[in-house]
Amino acid sequence: MALIIYLQPHKYFTLKEYLTLAEIQEDLREDGLTCVKLVEHYLQKIESSSHLNAFVEVYADEARSTAAVVDAKLVNGTAGRLAGMVIGIKDVLSHKGHGLQAASQILDSYQAPFTATAVQRLIDEDAIIIGRQNCDEFAMGSSNENSSFGPALNAADNSKVPGGSSGGSAVAVQAGLCHASLGSDTGGSVRQPAAFCGVVGVKPSYGRISRYGLIAYASSFDCIGPITKSVSDAALLLEIMSGDDDYDSTVSTKEVPAYSASLNWEGKARIGYIQDTLENEAISVDIRQRTKAVLDRLRAEGHEVVPVEIPLLDSLLPTYYILTTAEASSNLSRFDGVRYGHRSAESTDLESMYKKTRTEAFGPEVRRRILLGTFVLSANYYDAYYTKAQRVRRLVREETNRFFEQFDFFISPVTPTTAFTIGEKTEDPLQMYLADVFTVQANVVGNPAIAVPNGFDQQGMPIGIQIMAPYFGEEKMLAFADYLTRLNQKVAKKYSENQEV
Amino acid sequence: MLWTARMHIFVIAFSIIMTQNTLQPADITDELLATYETVIGLEVHCQLLTESKLFARDVNRFGTEPNTNIGPLTLALPGTLPKINKKAIEYAVRLGLACGCSISRKTTFDRKNYFYPDLPKGYQISQDKKPICENGGVAISFKNAEGKTTDKVIRFHHIHLEEDAGKSVHEGDQEETLLDYNRAGTPLVEMVSEPDLRSAEETGAFVTEIRRLVRYLGISDGNMEEGSLRCDVNVSVRKYGAPEYGTKVEIKNMNSIRNMMRAISFEERRQVALVESDGQVQQETRMFDVDNGQTYGMRVKETMNDYRYFPDPDLSPVVISEEWLSAITSAMPALPHELREKFVNQYGIPTYDAMVLTDTKEIADYFEAVCNKTPAYKTVSNWLMGPVKSFLNENGGDIALFPVSPQSLADLIDLAESGTVSNSVATQKIFPVLLAEPQREPKEIAATNNWLQNSNTNELESLVDEVINSMPDKVAAYRKGKKGLIGLFVGEVMKKSNNTADPKLVNQLLAKKL
Repeated sequence: MALIIYLQPHKYFTLKEYLTLAEIQEDLREDGLTCVKLVEHYLQKIESSSHLNAFVEVYADEARSTAAVVDAKLVNGTAGRLAGMVIGIKDVLSHKGHGLQAASQILDSYQAPFTATAVQRLIDEDAIIIGRQNCDEFAMGSSNENSSFGPALNAADNSKVPGGSSGGSAVAVQAGLCHASLGSDTGGSVRQPAAFCGVVGVKPSYGRISRYGLIAYASSFDCIGPITKSVSDAALLLEIMSGDDDYDSTVSTKEVPAYSASLNWEGKARIGYIQDTLENEAISVDIRQRTKAVLDRLRAEGHEVVPVEIPLLDSLLPTYYILTTAEASSNLSRFDGVRYGHRSAESTDLESMYKKTRTEAFGPEVRRRILLGTFVLSANYYDAYYTKAQRVRRLVREETNRFFEQFDFFISPVTPTTAFTIGEKTEDPLQMYLADVFTVQANVVGNPAIAVPNGFDQQGMPIGIQIMAPYFGEEKMLAFADYLTRLNQKVAKKYSENQEV
Repeated sequence: MLWTARMHIFVIAFSIIMTQNTLQPADITDELLATYETVIGLEVHCQLLTESKLFARDVNRFGTEPNTNIGPLTLALPGTLPKINKKAIEYAVRLGLACGCSISRKTTFDRKNYFYPDLPKGYQISQDKKPICENGGVAISFKNAEGKTTDKVIRFHHIHLEEDAGKSVHEGDQEETLLDYNRAGTPLVEMVSEPDLRSAEETGAFVTEIRRLVRYLGISDGNMEEGSLRCDVNVSVRKYGAPEYGTKVEIKNMNSIRNMMRAISFEERRQVALVESDGQVQQETRMFDVDNGQTYGMRVKETMNDYRYFPDPDLSPVVISEEWLSAITSAMPALPHELREKFVNQYGIPTYDAMVLTDTKEIADYFEAVCNKTPAYKTVSNWLMGPVKSFLNENGGDIALFPVSPQSLADLIDLAESGTVSNSVATQKIFPVLLAEPQREPKEIAATNNWLQNSNTNELESLVDEVINSMPDKVAAYRKGKKGLIGLFVGEVMKKSNNTADPKLVNQLLAKKL
C-alpha cells in the first residue's frame, strides 16, 4: 500500500479550548474562525486520541462538506442557531444513511433509513455531526465495557472507565474530540459518564424529547440527553431538541421554555439532601466531602438546605432492574435475524435460527437482561416481580412528588465512587449496578436531573454533583445548575488566590 | 422485494388414533346427539378498512404486490415508535355502539410477546387489561331444530383492537418460507363472545349478523374468503343439564360461514363420540379440512406459549372524550334493524319485504335511492325482490354488478304505473334491453320498439272492425250466446296491435261493436 503524505496547511493549528458555543460563535463572527477549521481541529483530535476508542465511526468527509455549507450560511447570515456546534452522537441514535448498531454485533452493517427527531432538529439548526460514538451494547452498562467495539477509555486516566452507557460520548467531550455529544439516559447513562469524565450531562423529564429514532432499551425510562462542557450549551441543545413530535405518542405537548435565555438564577432555593450520602462509607470520602462542601456553600449563600428522609429509595435499584429488563426483553425481540442484522450461519431450522442468532450476536450483559426480563414477565412470577415493581414505581413517584411540594431541588452525588479501573467490576454485575444508585431515581419517576462537575478526587479523577428537579422543571434546574457551577468556580478561584498568598 | 427466511416451520399434524372399540363421529345418531348440548363461543377477527395501518403510516390495502406497504415501523426497524390510528379507534367505537357495549373512556394497549417470523417486533400490540369495548352483544334470528324462527341475543365479553401479523408463504416444495409483511400492522377488531351459542345454525346466524353489521357500519368488507373476517370457534359438549361445561376445543382455519358450520357439526359429533367411548376431549387447537369436512389436531413444536402480556410503554392510554364519543355517535350509519323499521313506517312496505331489502346495506341503499325517484314504493320493493333479485342470483348476488341506475329503474316503474307500457312489457321486454344497454332510457326503448301501450281509440276501432269482419262465423256464434269467444277477439286485436293495445280498452270496444 502506497503511503501518500500530503500537507493541508490549515490542518496544523490549535484552537483555544472553547467552553461554550457562544464563544465559538463569537470567534466565527469576529476572529476568522470557520466551521471548516473547527471540523479539521476535531478530526485531528479524534485521530490523535484514537486510543480512547470514543468514536465507532467518524464522518470526516461529510463533516467537512457540511462545515463548508454552514460557513457559507454564516456569510449569508442564514446560519442556524447551532452553527459552529460540532457534535457526536451515541450509537443508539438513528441518522439516515449512516451505520447504527447500538455497539452490538446483532446490528452488524445495519444502516439507518431515517433520522431521529432529536438529531434532525440539531441538523436543522446547522449542527455538524462528526461521528457516532461508542457505548455499552444497547445502552446496558455503567462502564462502556459491554461494547462489541471494546471499551472506551477515560481521558483523565486511560486505565479507568469513562462510565456508561454513554461512555464514548462523555470521553469525546472530556477530551475535546467534539464540542458536545448526544447520549441516552435510562438509569444514569448520561449523568454517570458525565461525572466520571468531568463534564455536564442532562437527563430531561421523560417525554421532553421525542424518542423517535432512539433504539429502545426500556421505553418508559429512556431519555435522550446532551453531554457538554457548559450548562448553557446543554440548555440550548435541550431547548432545540425538545417538544411535540408526531412520531412519538409518549412525547409531551408542553411548550418548550427558552432554557438558554433563562440562565439567570435569582433568589433562594429550598434544597433537600439525604444525610446518609454524606456519611455512608460505601461512598468515597472525596465525593462525600465535595458534596458536603457544595451544600455548605449553598447554605452560606442563604439557601435553605435541609436533610430529608426518602424511605423508598432503598427499593429503587430492584424496581429499576425489574422494570427495565422486562421492557428490554420485549424491545429486543425484534432482533431475531429475520429481517435485518446478523443471522447465524449455523441455523438449521426456525428455532435454531432464533437461538443461535441471538446467542452469537448479543453480549453477555444484554443476554442477562433479556433473560431477567423474560423471567419477571413470565406467568408464574409476574405478580411477584413486575406488578410489585410497578406499584413501587408509583409509590416512589408519589413520594418524590411530595418531596417537591416542599423543595425546589434534590441534591446528591452522581456516583458513589469516581471512575473505576477497567475490568474491576466486570465479574460482579451487582457491584456494577450499584454505580447507578443515585441516578436511577430520576428515571424511575421521570423527573429531570443534571450532573455538573464538582472538582476532582485525590487521584485527579473528576467528581460530579447531581441536581434533580420537579417534573418538567428543567428551566429552573438549568438556571440553578449554571449558578452552582459559577459558584464553584468562584470558590475555586478564591481558593487558588489564597493558596498563592 | 421478498424477505426470505431460511427455515422450516414444523407443524406436525396427527389424527386421533381410533381403536376398534371407540365410536366414530359417524356412529353418533341424531337421537344420541340430541341428548348433548353443544356450547360454542367465538373469537371473531375483523380487519378494519382504514386508510393506513393501526400504528404506522403505511397504506392498509389488500392484494398489493408482496412487501410494498412496509415502512420502517411495519418492519420493526430499531428506533421506530407506534402511533395510534384515530380512525381505527372510531371504527371500534362505532362497532361497540352498534352492539350496545360500554365504551372504555380510557383504553390501553398491551404487548403480547411471542416469536414468529411474520411478527416483526416479536410482540403483537393488542389489548389485554382495558379493551376498548366491554359487554354488549348481537341479536340473531335463526331456525331452531323444529324449524321455527327463533330470536336470541349473543353476548360479547369484550371487543378489543389489535394489529394483524404478516403472512408466511410456502411456494411449492421450496424449503424457504417467504414472508410478506403487507398485512403486518393492519388494524383488527376482535369480538370475543360469551359461550352463548348452541348449534352450528346459531353460529352461522351470528357470524352472518356480524358480517352484515360491519358492512353496514362501513368498517370492514367482512370478506371471509380473503381473510378480512376470521373466526376461531371454541366448541365443547355436555349432557343436557350438566352443571359444568365440557373441555373446549378451538377450531381455526375456516374460510366461509358454511365451512364453519360444517366444522362445528363434525366437531360436536367427534366430541360426543369421545365422551360416549369414555374418552376425554383434549384441550387443543384443531384445524378444519375443507376437503373431507373433518377437523384435525395440530401441534406446533413449541409448548404452550406464555405471552408475557404487559402494558405497551410506547403508547399512552387513549382517552375517548365526551366530545369525541358524541361525534362518533352522531356520525353512526343506520343499522339493519333501524332501516327495517324505517322501510315499514316510511315506505309502507310489508315487514317481510323490509327484511329482504335490508339483507345487505347495498340493496337497502339501492331501494332507498329508487324510492327517492318514484312514489311507488311497494312496486319498487316488488321489482327488487322479483326481476332484480333474479338477475343478481344469476350474476353473483352483488348489487354493485347491477347495471341499471336507480333513476332508470324508477323511470321504468313509472312507465308501467302510469299505463304507458303494460307490466309485462316492462318486465319482459324493456328490462332485458335495459340490462344489456343500461345507458338507454326506458321510455326511448319502449318508443323505438313500438311498445308504448296503445290507447288511441280511433286506431283501435279500425283494428276491432278488421277482426270482427274477418271472422263472421265466430261473431255469429258470439251473438248467439257463446260469450267466451270474447277472449279470442281480444287476443286477435292485441296481436294486430303488436301487443301495444290497452287490453281493457280493447274489451270495451269489442263489447260495444258486437
